[in-house]
Amino acid sequence: MDELLEQFLIEGRDLVAQAAADFDVLARDPGNAAAIDSAFRAIHTLKGSVGIFPMGPAERVLHAAEEVLERARKGGALDAGAVAGLIACLDAVDHWIDEIEQAGALSPDAEQVAAAAMARLPGHSDTAPVAAAEEVPGWLALLGARERAVIEAADAALIAFRYTPDADCFFRGEDPLAVAGDVPELLALAVLPADGAWPTVDALEPFACFSVLEGVSAAPAEAVRAAFRMMPDQIAIHRIDPAAQAETEAAETGTRAATTLRVDAARVDALADGLGELVVAVNAFAPLVAQADAIDRALAASIRAVQADIERVAGDLHRSVSAVRLVPLAPTLRRLPRLAREIAAGLGKPLDFIVSGEGLEVDKQIADGLFEPLLHLVRNAIDHGLEDAATRKAAGKPAQGRVTLSASRDGDAILVTLEDDGAGIDPDRIRAAAVARGLLGEEAAAQLSDAAALRLIFAPGFSTAAQVTEVSGRGVGMDAVQAAVERLRGTIDIASEPGKGTRFRLRLPANALTTRLLVVEVGADRYGVALDQIVETVRIDSNALMPIGGGSACVLRGRTVPVLSLASLLGSADRPAATAKLLVTRTGGERVALRVDGFAERIDTLVRPSSGILAGVPGVTGSTLLGDGSVLLVLDLPALAA
Amino acid sequence: MSVRVEAEVIHLTGRCLAEDAEALLVALHEGPERSVDLAGAQRLHLAVVQLLLAARPPIRGVANNSVLPVHVVNLLQ
Repeated sequence: MDELLEQFLIEGRDLVAQAAADFDVLARDPGNAAAIDSAFRAIHTLKGSVGIFPMGPAERVLHAAEEVLERARKGGALDAGAVAGLIACLDAVDHWIDEIEQAGALSPDAEQVAAAAMARLPGHSDTAPVAAAEEVPGWLALLGARERAVIEAADAALIAFRYTPDADCFFRGEDPLAVAGDVPELLALAVLPADGAWPTVDALEPFACFSVLEGVSAAPAEAVRAAFRMMPDQIAIHRIDPAAQAETEAAETGTRAATTLRVDAARVDALADGLGELVVAVNAFAPLVAQADAIDRALAASIRAVQADIERVAGDLHRSVSAVRLVPLAPTLRRLPRLAREIAAGLGKPLDFIVSGEGLEVDKQIADGLFEPLLHLVRNAIDHGLEDAATRKAAGKPAQGRVTLSASRDGDAILVTLEDDGAGIDPDRIRAAAVARGLLGEEAAAQLSDAAALRLIFAPGFSTAAQVTEVSGRGVGMDAVQAAVERLRGTIDIASEPGKGTRFRLRLPANALTTRLLVVEVGADRYGVALDQIVETVRIDSNALMPIGGGSACVLRGRTVPVLSLASLLGSADRPAATAKLLVTRTGGERVALRVDGFAERIDTLVRPSSGILAGVPGVTGSTLLGDGSVLLVLDLPALAA
Repeated sequence: MSVRVEAEVIHLTGRCLAEDAEALLVALHEGPERSVDLAGAQRLHLAVVQLLLAARPPIRGVANNSVLPVHVVNLLQ
């Protein structure tokens, strides 16, 4: 991809996110001066960046939004309608950034969308905006982008003009095209629609002038002005100095470079990989010290001291690199409100979508991987969760449905909660649907707890949508959400109260770089288990295990938990012991205990995803290299216990 | 008469003035599929040009027109 475009996609979206956050504040508090200021700056900068690309409508929309904010800065008040208009403008621009990324151009309806968005702004008139004397007017920036080739080819300052003939100039016998065509040393001329978009053939008025003319001339300003001496009030003239333009751009980049550095994520990943190897290599000291201890205690003590030093430094480095990979969740979360509004508008459901916790920082991998499953959940919440306005009113709820997305930190994990105040999910309906779809038998369905029944929606191919809608497709996809969350080593929980709403809670590791593993022993073999998959480790008397059916169970904290033998799951013989050592994990929302023969050390290590012959082995997420060079298989407990 | 329709092609010839915009609009309206030939045009008034830009019919004969000013040719190509 073009480097300039790539940069724009990142920065443009950052600016959209910034402005969206400010508009969010303004929606609640339209007089907030700090938010108005901040939004103005974001929109102004964004307007400058879209000018480089074929995004004329975006530039016009941003210009109009900027003017509204500029008036607000000077003491004019914003009201709810104005903020809604600003949000509509920003949504359009955000959408166009997506289009530029995907297609390299805006869709043909961009002009209409732009006109519609601008029409929602207060005090927006169809006539061309009158630019402040000092400021670079919007048309000039557009012209600069359009006539870039001409301007860059010039070695001296050029004169740009914009000629806005009045609508009935044709009746006076004027031909603005002839007037503009007579401008000396004319390098470029464009005829543009006066109000942003050309009228349709049906709406054309043949005797009204609905065009503006813009051009570039190499002649001196006075000569250009002289060509328009008959209509001095319809002409705007500006000097374009290619050198000055380049200078400002350079200055802006300079300040930015001083504060942040954009680095290809792959380089940071490579750094992290190398560091992971270092952490693993340091693990090799422990057996070495044990060996040295047998020969020379003093030498062993020295090696131990060196080991401690290297571990400390590697630990510091590890934290720094992890911090580099930490990115704010904001860009991921802030893209959602616009999409949520589009989805809701498509379904005709009024929606109040609230996002909080964007300030949270998470590992880049998590931030990147979270968008798709969240979008899916949002889509489902709006489509299937929220009732239509009439049903809501009948149920005594406000017509506007509410969907809340929040993110918070919980120790080493982040919690992302998506809540709607819709119809909720009826577990009986889920049971019935699962039976009807042949996912499980009637008896098995009846035995499921309500919580377990709700989780059936994550089963592949499950759908309870009575109607297949365009938005949520055929209802498949909740299984995809679960898979996406599990790929990030996260879990997803669901809670629902019929009539009140549904809540999904995602729990994800905040740091993905190295994994904390607990090494467990099964017979003579050792395996790694990610600590974030372990709810708790328990030692209980073997007599407390109750045989149930073909397996056994025990009571933990007042609840019966099935107990599986890890040895038999892995295909080796079970060894009875007086004390049962249990790893408690969660699969499908239910707790399950796995019996192991011993708990060994905890290590911080880099887990490599399975490849080669291991790739197809179920229950194995990957492998890691131990300090002594041996390979430790890392088990996926929920998959094994499922 | 500078607007002439022949075999679904609208020919603009000679000096096309503001008055011709209406005839052009009618011709485009009656045949939305029609293309416009400018080979014989000597001058195009803004009223005609803005119509062509708004309606965007297929345009031909611009390239080999030696009379139209270069910037007008650029606009329509």
